[in-house]
Amino acid sequence: MTSKTTASLMAICVACAAGAIAGTALAQTTDPPPPAQAGAGAAAAVSGDAQQQQQAADAPAEAAPAGEEEEDLEVQEQGGKLVLPNGQDITPDHMENGRWYTAEDIPTFKIAEDGTVDYSTFSGYRRYSAECHVCHGPDGEGSTYAPALKNSVLKLDYYEFQEIVASGKQDVNTAANLVMPAFGTNKNVWCYIDDIYVYLLARGAGDLPRGRPGKREDKSDDFTAQEDSCMNG
Amino acid sequence: MKNLMNGACLALLMSGTAALANDSVMAEIAKPQQWAIQTGDYANTRYSTLDQINKDNVKDLRVAWTFSTGVLRGHEGSPLVIGDIMYVHTPFPNNVFALDLNDNGKILWRYQPQQDPNVIAVMCCDTVSRGVAYADGLILLHQADTTLVALDAKTGEEKWKVVTGDPAIGETNTATVLPVKDKVIVGVSGGEYGVRGRVTAYSLADGSEVWKAWSTGPDEEMLVDPENTTHLGKPIGADSSLNSWEGDQWKIGGGTTWGWYSYDPELNLVYYGTGNPSTWNPSQRPGDNKWSMTIMARDADTGMAKWFYQMTPHDEWDYDGVNEMILTNQTIDGQERKLLTHFDRNGLAYTMDRETGELLVAEKYDPVVNWTTGVDMDPNSETYGRPAVVAEYSTAQNGEDENTTGVCPAALGTKDQQPAAFSPKTNLFYVPTNHVCMDYEPFRVAYTAGQPYVGATLSMYPAPDSHGGMGNFIAWDNTTGQIKWSIPEQFSVWSGALATAGDVVFYGTLEGYLKAVDAETGDELYKFKTPSGIIGNVMTYEHGGKQYIGILSGVGGWAGIGLAAGLTNPNDGLGAVGGYASLSQYTELGGQLTVFELPG
Repeated sequence: MTSKTTASLMAICVACAAGAIAGTALAQTTDPPPPAQAGAGAAAAVSGDAQQQQQAADAPAEAAPAGEEEEDLEVQEQGGKLVLPNGQDITPDHMENGRWYTAEDIPTFKIAEDGTVDYSTFSGYRRYSAECHVCHGPDGEGSTYAPALKNSVLKLDYYEFQEIVASGKQDVNTAANLVMPAFGTNKNVWCYIDDIYVYLLARGAGDLPRGRPGKREDKSDDFTAQEDSCMNG
Repeated sequence: MKNLMNGACLALLMSGTAALANDSVMAEIAKPQQWAIQTGDYANTRYSTLDQINKDNVKDLRVAWTFSTGVLRGHEGSPLVIGDIMYVHTPFPNNVFALDLNDNGKILWRYQPQQDPNVIAVMCCDTVSRGVAYADGLILLHQADTTLVALDAKTGEEKWKVVTGDPAIGETNTATVLPVKDKVIVGVSGGEYGVRGRVTAYSLADGSEVWKAWSTGPDEEMLVDPENTTHLGKPIGADSSLNSWEGDQWKIGGGTTWGWYSYDPELNLVYYGTGNPSTWNPSQRPGDNKWSMTIMARDADTGMAKWFYQMTPHDEWDYDGVNEMILTNQTIDGQERKLLTHFDRNGLAYTMDRETGELLVAEKYDPVVNWTTGVDMDPNSETYGRPAVVAEYSTAQNGEDENTTGVCPAALGTKDQQPAAFSPKTNLFYVPTNHVCMDYEPFRVAYTAGQPYVGATLSMYPAPDSHGGMGNFIAWDNTTGQIKWSIPEQFSVWSGALATAGDVVFYGTLEGYLKAVDAETGDELYKFKTPSGIIGNVMTYEHGGKQYIGILSGVGGWAGIGLAAGLTNPNDGLGAVGGYASLSQYTELGGQLTVFELPG
């Protein structure tokens, strides 16, 4: 991925956070830039004008927490593969340590035809609901002030998602007071970051309905071993 | 008139008692034209003797004026009115505006504190603030970052400030403060971050610390006397808290104090409740986890505890005990008593003798409450005062990694902090409630300072087999423990109620309606849709001989998290379809004060 593309995606991510306050922040073009920004935000602030305008126009689509007014982004099937709008392939290819990965070794979900989810996706549901839900709302659907992460993961790539979770991000100005904490030192989040990611991916892709997954694979010994080593390490 | 005299609020207004408490607070509360304290009075009745707006003319109510706060997130609490000035607060960044009621609400001064925005990241459940307090010519603001600042009420000039907690370990503030005598009493938030709860009294003169009473830990740190501090009439004994925890878990064991505070000047006792024990996973903290989930009565001068009552020992559902304690003098079982009434998150409404801590009534105030069959009321029983837990709904008995389903109420409780009102004319309590149930799955978590420490997954949904809505507004008889009437609401009622001598009760809804109902019958008399959902508390005041009703709009808070996206519905086909609609179809963010008046 080129650096230009990365900057663009990061910019979208800021639009996404600001969008949580209904797009009004973006409409106020005379506002001074936010006084403090995490890495991703800073990248967005210097990205190209045309790009920014495009994102501003897109922002309201991400604004509504419930996501009922706007069309959700769609995962496309290309040559037998599932591909996100950002081009990332999310087709499960192989399993390692109890988790599914794509051919490019990016974590992903696997849901059987009868709806049985892989254990990592289920684990992600639980950890999301404990650690992320108090701001981002149930089932990745967003709240009155935090964006719907089921949509965010369709735009961010895996590494950007990780960076934001690890370092946090801020959008603080006259119109918005949006601050996400850094979770890089929190084992309850970081030991399960891939689980949370694939859970949100499954939600965003439309392959997993709201609520607690009904059927799931059992926890594998490999998964348990890795969990123990991370939580106790 | 006899009924009127029963109201503790009136008793507190009598001049003879004024010298016992903070004279300035008592004097300002005593003027019915004002709204001098967030809770209406020290007794937390949220009752006003103003009667110009009454049940016959309230239908003619109209908007007199409005004020935008310039802040978008959840607006809890209410403005104060002292003399000719109205004081309006906002959520983070916790701005305060002084508005001149003699000059169409012109801004006399504004205070805009500078806070590290990182505090936002450690605030569970939105950046709400439940408002400022007034005492001795000072406006007292307890900011999100736990800075307590005293402002000159006339000029907004800072007189002193003191930091009461450490956001780096998850300590924040959302509550108002209680000025009593020469002190101001403050609490702390952060039960979801493993914060150890306490209340602290600071000198009103200069902000220096006077006493601090922890909710958990060694006796001397909790300010308890093992022989004389009682629980249901019996001494609590030595090491009552330490004996109820495993190891050092009490140090990160919660019991935070983010709710409302009340005060009885005659008994000189301050009343409040403590929050959930940390974590939400009960298996990680065996024992009763004292004194989380506890009603506390403490001496205002020394902080020494007179009595405790733990409502939910070893909590398994996050039923914080922080809701308001409403102090009334009423006749119960033919006897005139000093009562304390408390609507707990756990779905039980408690009526107690506030002098002795004796438990008189404990009944469900929503019939769907199912985690308990009720409280053991037999003083000779070994389990006296304990709720009997239903095994099916016990997340502790079902254990870690097991999903316990269909628990009512949900973690946000049958009622959260949104305060109830009491009318001495009807002897009824008017209670905003939630009608929501949940699935709860606890699991093991590790503690990291300043990071969320939750340990359970929840999904919430409207109470099954009911009206399909997520709330009710009820009238409650605290002497018999019965619902007098109940108004179904589509969403949780997250607004504090106001009762008036005009026989009208007011409350707000999450869609944004201010509603007025008949205090006797609950019949709806008036409603008006304000610009955003209401999680603030209704207040009233009189200026220039005219009564006004004020309410803050600005949706958010706990309610804005779950309801914005609509709650999960695992029981398709049950209840009314409308109940599951998401709040975002009805309202948007935006802080605004709306003030109502009668025409003419």
